[in-house]
Amino acid sequence: MSENKKNQKCHFLRFYEQKDKYWLSIWILGLMMIWIWNLIYLNKPALKQLESGFLNTLIISFLVIIFSILLGWSITLLQYLFERNYPKIQIILIFLINIIRSIPQIVGILMGYVILTVLIQQGVLRSDFIILIFMALIIALFVFLEIFDLLRERIHYFRRLDFFDAMRVCGIRERYIINREIIWRSSRIHMVNKMIAIFGISIFLLCSVDFIISVGLSTDVSSVNLPVTLGSLLAKIDSKQDILAIGYSLTHLGYIIRLPFEHLQGISVSFIIVFTLVCMYQIGNGFARRHHL
Amino acid sequence: MKYDLDIATKDRLLVQIDEFNIQPGSLTLLLGESGIGKSLISKAIFGLLSPDDLEIRINQLDYEEYLKSKVCTEIQEKGFFVFQEPSSHLNPFRTLNKQLNEGSIKDPARNGEILAKLFPNFSEIEREQFLSVFPKPFRPSGGEKQRILITMAFKKMSLLRKNRYNESAFFIFDEPTGSLDNEYRNIFLKMLLTAHEQLKFTALLITHDYSMISEITDRYVKLLPSINFRELSVHNDDHQLKKFSTDSYLSWLGSVQPKGSKQSRYKQPLLSLQSEIKVFNRRIVISTSPEALTPSKLEIFPGEAVYLKAESGAGKTTVAKIIMGLQSCQSFQCQVGDITLNQHTTENQWKRNIWAKKMSMVFQHADEALNLNGKVKDIFRGLPLKKRKDREFLIENLKIVFEESVDEAFLVQPVAFLSGGQKQRLNLIRALILDTDIVILDEPLNGLDFDTLQNVLAILQDRQRQGKSYLLISHNEEIIDRIVPHDRIYYLNWKRI
Repeated sequence: MSENKKNQKCHFLRFYEQKDKYWLSIWILGLMMIWIWNLIYLNKPALKQLESGFLNTLIISFLVIIFSILLGWSITLLQYLFERNYPKIQIILIFLINIIRSIPQIVGILMGYVILTVLIQQGVLRSDFIILIFMALIIALFVFLEIFDLLRERIHYFRRLDFFDAMRVCGIRERYIINREIIWRSSRIHMVNKMIAIFGISIFLLCSVDFIISVGLSTDVSSVNLPVTLGSLLAKIDSKQDILAIGYSLTHLGYIIRLPFEHLQGISVSFIIVFTLVCMYQIGNGFARRHHL
Repeated sequence: MKYDLDIATKDRLLVQIDEFNIQPGSLTLLLGESGIGKSLISKAIFGLLSPDDLEIRINQLDYEEYLKSKVCTEIQEKGFFVFQEPSSHLNPFRTLNKQLNEGSIKDPARNGEILAKLFPNFSEIEREQFLSVFPKPFRPSGGEKQRILITMAFKKMSLLRKNRYNESAFFIFDEPTGSLDNEYRNIFLKMLLTAHEQLKFTALLITHDYSMISEITDRYVKLLPSINFRELSVHNDDHQLKKFSTDSYLSWLGSVQPKGSKQSRYKQPLLSLQSEIKVFNRRIVISTSPEALTPSKLEIFPGEAVYLKAESGAGKTTVAKIIMGLQSCQSFQCQVGDITLNQHTTENQWKRNIWAKKMSMVFQHADEALNLNGKVKDIFRGLPLKKRKDREFLIENLKIVFEESVDEAFLVQPVAFLSGGQKQRLNLIRALILDTDIVILDEPLNGLDFDTLQNVLAILQDRQRQGKSYLLISHNEEIIDRIVPHDRIYYLNWKRI
């Protein structure tokens, strides 16, 4: 019965029910559409800027995910080790983690950018890719706690279950149980869910910080030498004028038709940021629902 | 009452059975391994599942239609469902008394007689005090909560008229004696069988307790014609309800003998546990008599099975965990070979010298002892075995406990999708494969069907002949009493310090 019923179900309906996949498709389709539109109507230099801004933002966000996982996982293991064997060192570790936790993320990242700018000015960081990695590291330092908290909670939960002790008395090493059975096998889905959230958070933080420093915090901290991102692109005067044009069109309705042709850069950048954040939110929710998290 | 049922989630089929037939006016004792859908089927029939969560069809009807049908509404109106887990049945925000007197069973006049039978040790005042409490997870005890649910069911039965047509009143008892000791279980059985004889309602009694068969066939021979013994089994996703042969169980039970060499008594014990343990401000005393008249050391010799017996909640599992270093305590002393263990022994010493070297342990609930997110093929991963854990090794060892062929599809099966009996077998083989001298088995027969139960006991006895020993903890007294010599049974008693 159920097999027949399942076959009868419209494929699209099933796809629509899987909200994460549905919104992922919408995100990719939306980005492709806006790229094609820009390919036709946006001037070449602006299009190139938009492409590299988007790509850099994407790369940094992916790197943030990788660094957050590495940092979160390794510090979770350290904390577990200290908790079991060296409780005093664990107090120090928790104290340091709490210091990071107490700093507002944007403020922390801005402080990191100060160091980044100094390193660029001193010629320590030259290649764009190295700078991207450094930017991602700074952001990861303030978002990895999402992973750390998740893993710590998962380990704590599983340790209370019989399965932890049942494996230990069978001679299975604790590090195997923690890494393989608890984190990898039993928390992978939770981690992917967090990764989606971190992707959204890092885009938001990156755009916010890049926007702040690009509008001119000071002459010491300059975005001049930083790779272009969606945030810094949004702060450019052309983009600002494009966004102001949206406001203008509210009182001059006839102007609306000119927006997607004459004010493409600013509108595209702001659209990509907002659209991506909305899609990430929906993907995260859909994923959590599909996997009953 | 014939049912053709299909129950599925969006991703997989849970139950498919063409003929789930319950003879109206009879009492059906439903046996079978755990986790294959006995509770799910009975809940579906009683109309307790949500059509939003599952895709259900009963007798070609969509579940929403079935819920509105006369059959279902009549079952709910006249019958009663006693849940397996009493805590989930009772409302923690209402006193037991209020819950016992609400809805269709609101008449308190019917309480006294039923409660007096199910709570014979309580005076009337004590009963009233007991009924005035709110059910919390650990208070009243599981057994007391279960007896309250049974009281509700009997109150509902008392609404039926004698010598009338009561076949449409369907009473379902899902593991009603899981938390009861044999004394209360027998009281319940007597009440149920007496009521059934008088009222001729339809009843389904789901249980894993095979010793009920002996109790019924010994004491209620006259009632046997109105009792059906059935076993639910599953093969290739197809569920079947088959007749269960009580004779085969009883003749098997008669043939079971204790194994183990008597010579072993003259050797040094593998394990020697002092008779007194202090934990949770309790003094637990081990003795060779149920009354704890003579405290004695618990000793396990090579090739022996030793049975640790006590009432539910007395601390059997706690003692097992203390021996394995998983539970801290105020005082205890144990000798395992030349290693002395006590309350001051560090976890590292257990890790270095005991776990998987001298002893291993099989935990009570396979569902909790296994990682349900893993696959069958992962079961031996991480174990400290000298042999290479390749595919051949895996299949060869899984076949010890899985009589049916272990194929590729089974190896990649998620543990969560296995039946309770299959999980229990995985749980057992993981500890047995370590080949330690002693294995502590906490409720090793939980969730097993009759065939598997025989197979598991045969494996254990076979290993005993090779000099391996067991410390058994089980509520299944009838069977364990047969495989353990009487002088190797120890009793636990406790007193508050």
